[in-house]
Amino acid sequence: MLFNSYPFILLFLPVVLAGYFWLGRRSNLTPVIWLALASLAFYAIGSWQFVALLVLSIAFNYGIGHLLIVAKLGPSRRKAALALGVAGDLLVLGIFKYAGFAVENVNALLGMHFAVHILLPVGISFYTFTQIAFLVDAYRGQVAAYALPHYALFVTYFPHLIAGPILHHKDMIPQFEREETKRPDGHLILCGVIIFAIGLFKKTCLADGIQPLVALAFETRSPSFDQAWCGALAYTFQLYFDFSGYSDMAIGISLMFGIFLPVNFNSPYKATSIVEFWRRWHVTLSQFLRDYLYIPLGGNRHGRVLRYVNLLITMLLGGLWHGAAWTFVVWGALHGAYLCVNHAFNAVVPTIPSALARPARIGGAVLTFLAVVVAWVFFRAESVAWALRVLHAMADPSNVVFGREEIAALVMIAVYAALVWLAPNTQGILGYDHANRRVGENLRAGRMRPLFLYGASLVLAFGILGIQSHSEFIYFRF
Amino acid sequence: MRATFTSLKRLLLASIAFVLGAAGLTLFVDPLQLFRPSGSAFYSDDTRVQNAGLIRSQSFDTAFMGTSLAIHFRQSDIDRALGVRSLKLAMTGSNSRQQAFVLEQAIARGARRVIWEMDDFIFVDAADIEADPYLSVDLYRGTAKGIASYLFSAAMAKESLFALLRSVPPLQGPLTRAAPFLPVKFALADVDDIYALPRDFDIAREYNAKKALAAFAYITSPVRSRFLGEGYGYDAMVRHFERDAVALVERHPDVIFDVYFPPYSILQFVAMRDASPATLKIVTDLTAVIATRLTQLPNVRLHDFRAIKAVTHELGNYGDVIHHSPVVDAMVLKWLASGEYRVDPKAPLRSLDELKAQVEVYRVPGLP
Repeated sequence: MLFNSYPFILLFLPVVLAGYFWLGRRSNLTPVIWLALASLAFYAIGSWQFVALLVLSIAFNYGIGHLLIVAKLGPSRRKAALALGVAGDLLVLGIFKYAGFAVENVNALLGMHFAVHILLPVGISFYTFTQIAFLVDAYRGQVAAYALPHYALFVTYFPHLIAGPILHHKDMIPQFEREETKRPDGHLILCGVIIFAIGLFKKTCLADGIQPLVALAFETRSPSFDQAWCGALAYTFQLYFDFSGYSDMAIGISLMFGIFLPVNFNSPYKATSIVEFWRRWHVTLSQFLRDYLYIPLGGNRHGRVLRYVNLLITMLLGGLWHGAAWTFVVWGALHGAYLCVNHAFNAVVPTIPSALARPARIGGAVLTFLAVVVAWVFFRAESVAWALRVLHAMADPSNVVFGREEIAALVMIAVYAALVWLAPNTQGILGYDHANRRVGENLRAGRMRPLFLYGASLVLAFGILGIQSHSEFIYFRF
Repeated sequence: MRATFTSLKRLLLASIAFVLGAAGLTLFVDPLQLFRPSGSAFYSDDTRVQNAGLIRSQSFDTAFMGTSLAIHFRQSDIDRALGVRSLKLAMTGSNSRQQAFVLEQAIARGARRVIWEMDDFIFVDAADIEADPYLSVDLYRGTAKGIASYLFSAAMAKESLFALLRSVPPLQGPLTRAAPFLPVKFALADVDDIYALPRDFDIAREYNAKKALAAFAYITSPVRSRFLGEGYGYDAMVRHFERDAVALVERHPDVIFDVYFPPYSILQFVAMRDASPATLKIVTDLTAVIATRLTQLPNVRLHDFRAIKAVTHELGNYGDVIHHSPVVDAMVLKWLASGEYRVDPKAPLRSLDELKAQVEVYRVPGLP
């Protein structure tokens, strides 16, 4: 089911909200079960054939978690239980996501023609990572014993199930357990609706609005210099508004239930370095990769060279997590290389004179953005060769068309660029503070004028009017 | 607490009001001219949507259909060459289902003649027209769902707002001139300009032998040659031809159908010959069926331009292996008017045999 669809907005969400709060007047547990069942229904509407896999995954991980948390196992058995859990998760992910890719490469190497056609279960990358984090923390002794309904809801919680943000059990389950969340909070619902509206607008009007321009670079056999740049920039903005729109909608929906989700985007294109970019882009994935991959690999604790190796491995696997294709591997490798260069630069040039700080920040922002755009070309292209063709066109200013279509595209891209660099982000507008569970304090204190509310109404209206019959989220493919 | 619920109610009610206001604006401006023709309307290159409005708002007796091979024609040129009042409904990348559906609507609105540029590849498998995500049958049929999707649309509200601004006298000139360079769809002041190449278009730059040969090299490269026959299947294509073309012709015996096979460059067939012979066989077998079948229908005139050596072997006419220049567009109209390449019902495969012979002996310039 899509957030940006009439059935979801007009039927599913109101019914689930009403049921949740109605049950919340009678018990603290039944709303949790209701929400978990609603989440499964949400998943089933779009991917009924994978519901069993999701339920099995929950049962398997909850069982392993039980062994690690409740059963009094010795150290070696605990390690074996963790290994079994993580290997089981990765095996399922590997089969569903990477089997075809592996076979394709074996075929290419050995000249064989085996065919493997496996459908990718929606959200598998997200719920697998979520549960691996749970198992690792359980092994580390950082997890209390959770009730099955709460754990099941933590995994299936529909606002995040399909495309994140990647949730952490320590953040979420205590919120599910609180009685206060079962009572409707008008302020949180209002803020939730506003954040949802912004996200919906980002998706239906901005991301879907610029999507046709992407074809200029990626669906043309030999794009010109300006077409390649327009297409690459269009994709850069489409991906951002698509994914951050989804994340905003997830946060907004969740707030209506009184639950605070982590922020996933913080104006990433305003970053002045690649290191900063990864603190602002897909924040929950960055945190996961850092805590459960980079640090266990050794992080920066074993010298500079190993640190760079660990960075590269982390980003390569991060790239592969996005999709089973060499384009994603190259994308990850590029970002790994960027991060190494960034850290090396910081080591060589520790401080910049204050007189040069501002130009350096601007230069850093421009360079970072360009590096990100170049990497997105691989992320979007059908193949590495195709990406190289687009990049080659981007580097050849002698071949320019600059016709009516290209000028119109540039105007549109300029508008999007202004939004990205000059407009405040969603959490800035609403004062969303995930850590302190606060949102919209200015609204609560009456410091926001009616004009703000009507502006939000307009955004919601256009978000709804922008709904199209065929518009998926890009991250559904990962 | 009560205040926040009041604010929430106010926000939702205001949103409903804005949605209704946007729908009202679109209804008032009607950029597609679905409800009423307008002399001051502007037009869009988004043909799958625009055609729904054109069929309802324009006056015509001839529908001109095709794919990207027929997209650059100007209605005024068609009218002049053939002495008709045409409506160009060609759609890039369209399939036979879409074309037949749109033609059906045009015939229902008064077309008595159809000029149909027919490619073999339009008969590949395609989505059911009722579920086609790229062409809204409801919009064409004017059902409640179609009208609602038109009125309750952010894109249409934006277009309507722009049209409204453009109608304000001081802004009229500047916005009309700027429209083609702005991200608005309804930017063309003249219906004749829909997808037509600009009058000052640099033909030599876009259509030349170098481009045609580069395209040939690209599609015959071993890593891509399998795409030449992608979606091609003889039985299915014949079925689709019967369902979409023959059935349409038979349903409308009072309508004259001028069907023509466009003059692809010889490289199109040579590419198949060299890189995908099975595809070439499907294409020739299919066109044999099409030629035989169509020439038997009393209200069809079939024209075959594929074997006109003077054009198809002159690679300077092409932007790739199939798309020909506006110079050839003009020739096509001339040939249609004169009927000089009309297929003889008694020998429907003569031009196909000629083409086969040409393909067999052709050697690509620059290749051993």
